[in-house]
Amino acid sequence: MSAQRSFVKKTKAGRVMKVVREHYLRDDIYVGCELATEEYRGPDQSTWKLSPGASKFIVIDTNVALHQLDLLAHKSIADVVVLSVVLEECRNRSKSSYDRLRSMCQDPTKRFFVFANEHHRDTYIKAEPGESPNDRNDRAIRVAAKFYQRAIPSKRIVLLTNDRGNLLRAKEEGVDALSVRQFAREHAADAPELMDLVAGNDIDDEDVAAAAADDAPSAKRIFAEHLSASQMAAGIKGGTLHQGSLRTGRFSPWEGYVGSDAVGGDIMIVGRTDMNRAMDGDVVAVELLPESEWRRPGTKIAKPGEEHKDDKEDDKEDDKENETVSLAPAVAEDADDGSAVKAKREDGVVPTGRVVGVVKRNWRERGYAACIDLGPGAAGAAAASRLLAVPQDRRLPKIRIQTRQAAALVDQRIVVVIDSWPADSPYPEGHYVKSLGKLGDADAETAAVLLEADVDDRPFAPAVHACVPPLPWSFDERTHLQAQPHREDLRNLRVCSVDPPGCRDIDDALSCRPLDDEGMPGMLELGVHIADVTSFLHPDTAMDDEAKRRGTTTYLVQRRLDMLPKPLTEDICSLRGGVERLTFSVFFRFDAKTGLPVPGVEPRFTKAVIKSAAALTYAEAQTMMDDPNDTSPLANDLRRINACARSLRKRRIDAGALTLASPEVRFEMDKETNQPLDVGMYVTREANQMVEEMMLLANVASAERILRAFPSHALLRRHPTPAPRMFDPLLKACRAAGVDVDVSTSKKLADSLDAAVRPDDQYFNTLLRIVATRCMSQAVYCVSGAHSVNDRVHYGLAAPLYTHFTSPIRRYADVVVHRLLNAALGLERAHASLQDSEALKAVSDNINVRHRNSQMAARASVELHTHIFFRKKAAETEARVIRVRANGLIVFVPKFGIEAPVLFDDEEEEGDKKAVLDEEAMTVTTKAGKTWKVFDACKVCIQIEELAAGRSRLAIKIL
Amino acid sequence: MEYVSLEGLRLDGRRPKETRRMRCELTALPGSDGSAVFELGNTKVLAAVHGPHECRRPSERLEDRLLVKCEVSMAAFSTGERRRRTKGDRRTNELSTFVRRCIETCVSAELLARSQLDVSIQVLQADGGVRAAAVNAAVLAIVDAGIPMQDTMACCSAGYLDDTPLLDLNYMEEGGGGPEVHVAYMPQMDRVVAIVTENKASVDVFERAHELALDGCRVASKLMRERMIEHAKHLWAMRQVTLRVKDDETGDEAKPISMET
Amino acid sequence: MTAPVLPGEPLRHADEVRSGPGTYVRGKSVVAAVMGHARTTPAADDADDKRPLVEVIKGPVVTGDATGRGGGTLLPEVGDEVFARVLRINPRQVWCEIVAVNGKAVNDASGFQGIVRQQDVRATEIDKVDMYESFLPADVIRAKVLSLGDQRSYYLTTARNELGVVQAKSPFTGEPMVPVSWQEMMCPSTQVKVSRKVAKVD
Repeated sequence: MSAQRSFVKKTKAGRVMKVVREHYLRDDIYVGCELATEEYRGPDQSTWKLSPGASKFIVIDTNVALHQLDLLAHKSIADVVVLSVVLEECRNRSKSSYDRLRSMCQDPTKRFFVFANEHHRDTYIKAEPGESPNDRNDRAIRVAAKFYQRAIPSKRIVLLTNDRGNLLRAKEEGVDALSVRQFAREHAADAPELMDLVAGNDIDDEDVAAAAADDAPSAKRIFAEHLSASQMAAGIKGGTLHQGSLRTGRFSPWEGYVGSDAVGGDIMIVGRTDMNRAMDGDVVAVELLPESEWRRPGTKIAKPGEEHKDDKEDDKEDDKENETVSLAPAVAEDADDGSAVKAKREDGVVPTGRVVGVVKRNWRERGYAACIDLGPGAAGAAAASRLLAVPQDRRLPKIRIQTRQAAALVDQRIVVVIDSWPADSPYPEGHYVKSLGKLGDADAETAAVLLEADVDDRPFAPAVHACVPPLPWSFDERTHLQAQPHREDLRNLRVCSVDPPGCRDIDDALSCRPLDDEGMPGMLELGVHIADVTSFLHPDTAMDDEAKRRGTTTYLVQRRLDMLPKPLTEDICSLRGGVERLTFSVFFRFDAKTGLPVPGVEPRFTKAVIKSAAALTYAEAQTMMDDPNDTSPLANDLRRINACARSLRKRRIDAGALTLASPEVRFEMDKETNQPLDVGMYVTREANQMVEEMMLLANVASAERILRAFPSHALLRRHPTPAPRMFDPLLKACRAAGVDVDVSTSKKLADSLDAAVRPDDQYFNTLLRIVATRCMSQAVYCVSGAHSVNDRVHYGLAAPLYTHFTSPIRRYADVVVHRLLNAALGLERAHASLQDSEALKAVSDNINVRHRNSQMAARASVELHTHIFFRKKAAETEARVIRVRANGLIVFVPKFGIEAPVLFDDEEEEGDKKAVLDEEAMTVTTKAGKTWKVFDACKVCIQIEELAAGRSRLAIKIL
Repeated sequence: MEYVSLEGLRLDGRRPKETRRMRCELTALPGSDGSAVFELGNTKVLAAVHGPHECRRPSERLEDRLLVKCEVSMAAFSTGERRRRTKGDRRTNELSTFVRRCIETCVSAELLARSQLDVSIQVLQADGGVRAAAVNAAVLAIVDAGIPMQDTMACCSAGYLDDTPLLDLNYMEEGGGGPEVHVAYMPQMDRVVAIVTENKASVDVFERAHELALDGCRVASKLMRERMIEHAKHLWAMRQVTLRVKDDETGDEAKPISMET
Repeated sequence: MTAPVLPGEPLRHADEVRSGPGTYVRGKSVVAAVMGHARTTPAADDADDKRPLVEVIKGPVVTGDATGRGGGTLLPEVGDEVFARVLRINPRQVWCEIVAVNGKAVNDASGFQGIVRQQDVRATEIDKVDMYESFLPADVIRAKVLSLGDQRSYYLTTARNELGVVQAKSPFTGEPMVPVSWQEMMCPSTQVKVSRKVAKVD
């Protein structure tokens, strides 16, 4: 049977066209339950998902699917019929809800059955004349529910809906319908948590009515009503409104910026009222204020009370937390508005606007890590059912939640989801999802960090483990050499690996062989050997899908979240000393005299098997090289490699590669208690640079090789040349410091950075480099076909081409590059996904996101451990001013890599005696007469201030 | 875009290995020597054959075989948006070349040397699979015209989206950007006449799509065959009537005709 | 009743039968080349090849093959007598549609076009012929095929006594007119005479 679906659509160009689509109706779609009669249940037993033992089957409507996902995710909810009309509408409205619902449908324990009602002959309905699409879909859901009653008469079929009209009509039509709250109440006996999971704006009933009565006095409108979608669209088109994604500053939570081309820069939005319920990341419509109301961007660090000053429920103590102490971000995108363009006028006033509507919310479906607010404003919190939750992310406002387990949640790190933000509420409304553990507990806080960064810390599924070859795995002549004639036997070659101490996932090793005996005197053959992960990780396997999803291994301070299962990571692929391992090797011919590759000799890629002579640490390798008495062949190899690395490095720097600096912090951990013992900046030795140089060499060679084979499908890593304006903060700081920096090319920048040395100040140069690094955007993966030649350069390395080849154990990009190389060398057929630009683009986008998230998580983890570390002991140390503000300084503590604001003491006491800020010179003079200039050094004391309920903050004081 | 739901249904409710509903009609235009309409879901193509006749341009005449001319035009109303289409744009040129080549292979061209066959194809409605429908319509029209052929032919497309091989892509699915394989196939001779792929396909994807398209050709061919037989029966019945009328006129005795069963 | 066959369908083994019209030999089989019905005729007694002949007969043949030429479409040839309906006229020639050849009706679909040029209207005073005095649209004329003409039309002639207009309708009443001379016809009701190149009908 078939029907035509016909509708009228407006094209992008504004023309109206009629679209007619075929719609086939079938009789072979089954209800997924063995209780149904033969006609309805179908022959395939594997489709009988709904358990015959369930008390009832639940049919959900679209709103429930969109907004009550946390309830649906609860373990007591199973045997749900998800109609295709619901799924479809869900997908159109919210991609993330759809994904989550889909994954529930996949989960075998949930027994969510998808019934394709839109294609079933008995449940497909045509819209009546005048019936809105929503009403039609609601009717389709009711029809489907009735159909289920008919198909499975022995079971109670419940329609779950929060739409009053739908509920009434369903009852009229004889469908057993419940609202979500009624449903939760029905189950209160066996699953009391369900009530908490009910997301707000429920239609009935006494609970809400009571709550509404409570709120009645405060029910006055706090915020201006948002414009409707069509009003916004019209305004944006007409140029009266500006659309953009809202970015709030890390140091001023109630100040945000929206980029607008029309204004030629950012529009600033200041204050709660003008922010009008918009949050960081939301796409908003902004209206410019009259020019007379434009303001200067805040030059103050958010002070206690400022961000909540029109909010009487907040208390001082709580607000102190809003001074952010965090680790220094590495690059521009992570920093706050440093890179923002400001269409500034002479007097420093910037275009200012207010939010009139939200085009798209950026609320996370997975929720926010938060804790319960215990301030006096939330008096008697333990007893109340309506509480405020303080999100960990300072850019977010508090969230109001309803719970019946307040007492139990007080000292817990919890996950909260935002449902809505009505105009008459000072806070967004949300609901509690789950608890991660006790506040301040390292594990719970780490879980929160992972949640915030969206890093998956679940163990690998059995299906993934099934893809791992059984242990103990060992090299086998027959399967790996004879059956793979392309694999070279390099077990006699002297190979070693150099890695950080404690590294167990060794994915690279080096070798160096003089070619004197082969009639090429003075020549060296340098080999870079990379773990041959793609021999074990095949496309279209569960393991590959999982690795593709995770994208990268995440390194936390005390934990490593692997991209691949442990046996592969630490054993089968790890190039440990003394064992035979499969590799993907690349050989370069070097001239021993110049220490550079011999021109005209192509790097040679091959699959191989090696037996590493030693797995060294950086320190060990350095000692070996430095010890003149050590004349072992391995030490000689290392020295030769190092000599080549030096020449390469010189050549690279001559070409304009930047030596950048980002503060990396390392913890010495106590192996038993997992507590940080000491913390300090990462020390780099020459051995590090040697390995880095060799890896760069191999990566560049791989990039060239894959690009030659796949001009439009190569996965490259590009580092965009920064726009001149992005260097403004650097230039400003340099001007203030009296240093000349030329940013016109990377070469000039590198040279001028080299020249900017202060003989009396060793750290000044590094500091400058940190600031410079922050001006640049991050390097990203890209597909070669999508970018022009100039567009895919690596700015930082001054390389026209670059990719990642050397760490396939911990990065998925390298896995892709390995596969591309396999195909380029003709070792295997290129998998379909490698030849599909779209699929490749999706992979590269995902690994970019994952990579970023993983870095965020790593940083947050370090931050967390810094807290734990300083809880034990306060420290006095050297700090540097990196920015000045009207009421304080932002200092950077090199030793711990901490960047934090420092407020001047009681500067607010007398209004006329304020600190004086000179933005051009970047100095601030306190009222005590002390002048601080950017890059100034100071002594600070770092300690933990313990706050209520196990919370703490890092306090920095200038001594 | 999700082209195949996890429940295994495509956007229009088909399963991956199902074709759309096909329908065909012979002698759709009595004014031409042979004509046919072929419908593939909402795609509808009319083909008309004129000839064989003397070559219009003596310079084009082929001394050893039939000259086949093929012209494809898209009706202004064939897609959702009404658009007057210029004749001979890239798309229709490519399509007409494809149809012409297919026809040249299946007719007994050497029997009709020095003459010309005109095939006009009008796409009345385009909803995906136009190429397949055009070939099928042209073949039916040629059969209808009684041009000697080596074998009949059927054409079908298959694609690969969401990691699933899909038979007979509709308009939406063709827009998915996945690989597409069009196969023209002569069922009795078991011979693939033409394969066209669009978008990049790896070898294994191609193989799977190709197999599927071939199955689709068999399905299409079966349907076309049934329809042609039915039509032949109809014509035969008409012939019997005419013969009888003629015999009555002349008063002669009807000659016994022996028939092969 | 026989089974219909389709192109490409094997009919008989090539050793057993001879391949006739509408069939061809592929490998060891005689195969149908057109859609239709297969017919087997025993070989003539005196033929060298004793195998029966297999042919495939297409559908109906609406126009008979009275001309004695092979079946299929009825084609006018030079010298054939045709009946034609006048379609269009200008001072130099008239266009007409041939409706019958040698007394047999032409299949509608064939639509042969004929042209009578000014010099072919009558045998005498051929340069003084006024086409509008000779024919008008909708007249039915009897003519002979003069030549195969240009690509579109046969050239016809009416330059004989028995050729010319055989039927014309009265411009006033629409009735068929009656011939009164070789140059005139008369409307039976109004008695008005109209000029034509009239055929002398026996």
